[in-house]
Amino acid sequence: MSKHDEARRAFLVGTAIGAGAAASVALVPGALAQHQPPQPAPANTTVPDHGDHSGGGYGAWLNGEESAAIAAFAERLMPGEPGKPGATDAGVLNYIDLALAGAYADQRDFYRRGIAQLDAYCRKTQNAPFAQLPAARQDEVIAALEQDKAEGFSWPSAQAFFNTVRTHTIEGMFADPVYGGNKDFAGWRLVGFPGAHPAFSPADMESKEAFVGGALIGLQAQAPSRRT
Amino acid sequence: MATEKTDVVIVGVGAVGGILAAELGKAGMKVIGLERGPRLKTSDFAPLDELRYFQRQDLRPDVKRQPVTWRANANSRATPIQSLSYGNQAGGGTVHYGSVSWRFHEDDFRVRSQTIERYGANAIPEDSSVIDWPLSYAQLEPYYDRAEYELGVSGKAGNLQGRRIEGGNVFEAPRRRDYPLPALQVDQAGVNFEAAAKKLGYHPFSTPRAIISQAYKGRPACTYCGFCQGFGCHVAAKSSILVTALPDADATGNFKLITGAMCYRVNSDNSGRVTGVSYYGPDGSADNTIEAEIVVVAPFIYDAVRLLLLSKTTKFPNGLANSRGHLGKHIMAHIGARAFAAFDDRHVNIYMGPSAQKHTIDDFNADNFDHGGLGFIRGAQISAGPAGLEGGPIGTAMNMPPPPGVPRWGARYRDFFAKYYTRHLAMTGQTENLPYADQTIDLDPDIRDAWGLPAPRMTYDWRRPNETKRIEFINAKLLEIGRAMGATHVWRSPSSPGSPGSHHQGGARMGSDPSNSVVNRYGQTWDIPNLFVIGSSNFPTSSGFNPTLTIQALAYMSADAMVNRYRKNPGPLI
Repeated sequence: MSKHDEARRAFLVGTAIGAGAAASVALVPGALAQHQPPQPAPANTTVPDHGDHSGGGYGAWLNGEESAAIAAFAERLMPGEPGKPGATDAGVLNYIDLALAGAYADQRDFYRRGIAQLDAYCRKTQNAPFAQLPAARQDEVIAALEQDKAEGFSWPSAQAFFNTVRTHTIEGMFADPVYGGNKDFAGWRLVGFPGAHPAFSPADMESKEAFVGGALIGLQAQAPSRRT
Repeated sequence: MATEKTDVVIVGVGAVGGILAAELGKAGMKVIGLERGPRLKTSDFAPLDELRYFQRQDLRPDVKRQPVTWRANANSRATPIQSLSYGNQAGGGTVHYGSVSWRFHEDDFRVRSQTIERYGANAIPEDSSVIDWPLSYAQLEPYYDRAEYELGVSGKAGNLQGRRIEGGNVFEAPRRRDYPLPALQVDQAGVNFEAAAKKLGYHPFSTPRAIISQAYKGRPACTYCGFCQGFGCHVAAKSSILVTALPDADATGNFKLITGAMCYRVNSDNSGRVTGVSYYGPDGSADNTIEAEIVVVAPFIYDAVRLLLLSKTTKFPNGLANSRGHLGKHIMAHIGARAFAAFDDRHVNIYMGPSAQKHTIDDFNADNFDHGGLGFIRGAQISAGPAGLEGGPIGTAMNMPPPPGVPRWGARYRDFFAKYYTRHLAMTGQTENLPYADQTIDLDPDIRDAWGLPAPRMTYDWRRPNETKRIEFINAKLLEIGRAMGATHVWRSPSSPGSPGSHHQGGARMGSDPSNSVVNRYGQTWDIPNLFVIGSSNFPTSSGFNPTLTIQALAYMSADAMVNRYRKNPGPLI
């Protein structure tokens, strides 16, 4: 276990209370919940694992079928390959699920209806829900949503649903791991972002090469100094 | 019910309110400041968390509790703007801003006259309501100097008492002395931009910023972490009002700050004077009143206009300071032209270094270039920096559309972003859009905020012929500079249709003539001598430069007039 992993583990133990805080926010509807500062969310280890995307598992808020749809959608937006972590590797579903249980509680209806419309569209045009389509078909469906050409959507519109899932997929790829995505800094490793460095040296600033000046720094690593 | 008495009450304790609190307090005047948001501390800004501060906008107004609505024209229905960039706490927007700190050009203060002299009256669009400022650069210069030294601004002079200095902004107006702090270290976005701009014969320089490059007045120097735009500074190197003027105001012993206070009315009597303000307290109480000799309205322009409209009485049926019907009119915005350059042969590491508009050319701003035959007047500041003015991966992905031919998602997008996130920079043209009388802020008839007050409603569409031609011209310059960098890919961002833009200005404009303006040069309303409105709402024209240092200079000038003239002889200052 690396030093970083140890720190991460210590953080998770230390903030087990964070899960309760996130859940209480979820009970506050709409605008008020939005006003709350984002709560540190527990990482994958403290909630049901979303590694199996065939559906049936329950997370913090999305049900099994919804989880399967969002996991598949996010993976097509940011697909993984060996050496190139994608949405599944980064835990984007876990990020979105926890956000809907907390900071984005006011967007639950948007998701629930958006997913229902997506699956209805897929059943009508492809005879199967989104998650069960082959990747090439999923891509056709996503393209139709992006261009607002998918029929049968009222609210949210097909394009609005696409845009929101894309935004949240980017957040789940690149937000600090305390929010439940970017697992093991998968997103930051993908693009070469070194995390939250509190300082860069003149030499760092003068370099035209990739930055290699130290470990990835996330909120967990910052946490001990914040407590003092 | 709480009633307090004071000399001066200030509504909104941001760029203007903090400076007035310090200056009036030093002069022995008793000041109460009402602030809608909290007062945070530097230690609150320790988490360098892009999701929380940049993407979820934790330091900015909650668009659901405090909506501002927008429509392109009077025939359409307004909807809430989804992202608001002004302040929501003590210190206002200076807490989270990118800290870009400009003095306006000499001709920025006389756009109408300058245009007529150089190009003839026909060059001004027929429907533009542009007027000159009621003061010159030279009259404001002492207060620019004051603001730079009081607060702490880093930069290099380009015009020292008329002597042009390479490496500074050679287009700037003459300054009496250099900046108090040397320019910030140039990062790779600046290095690439500088080389290309020089190759093309332009005059690049490090953007002056209210971020201290060396220790100053007990605060430590910038650490180049890059978490500026959207963030509070975790070491207090950003010269925000929170760490400059507010501690000064506290030290006077004459200043009291009330946070969580939402002002909903400026009170006035039948003699035509204002008597104070009423506000909702942090505990939800509605009938809190402050009686004051002077009322200063200093929130952002949306709330400044709204408050005066909400304060109407039988004596002032159209709202306060609105006898000539100019309150809420002549709104302007900065619209961003944007282009990107991506490299196969070098890294830029855009997440390093102070964010926002890092490096600048001023060659195509103001009237610094000949507009003859171009079909438009006024220009834009052109700068290099992160796509979203903040260089983290979320802000970049959200603000950098991929080049033509690359989709916004899927394996090709992933590969594009994975390769170029650390190998790109963005360029922004920040355009000086003209004022038009039908660009307005009024009260939304349908949408209310969390206090039950009507939301401010903006009616604004930048797509006027003059502005459209300018943005095309500036876009071509951005692409030219990108190509001169030797970038592998150079592409532009599509201009968003109608978009309300940023840095909204106007609504309580200053002028020389009460018939076409709301306030005089001191922010004193023509209608009510003991009511002041100070801020970017006063700007008759917007410049292509960021507004904050000019707002702060105006605050110092108004404070000077209140202390040394108004106090001895309350009444019209002009």
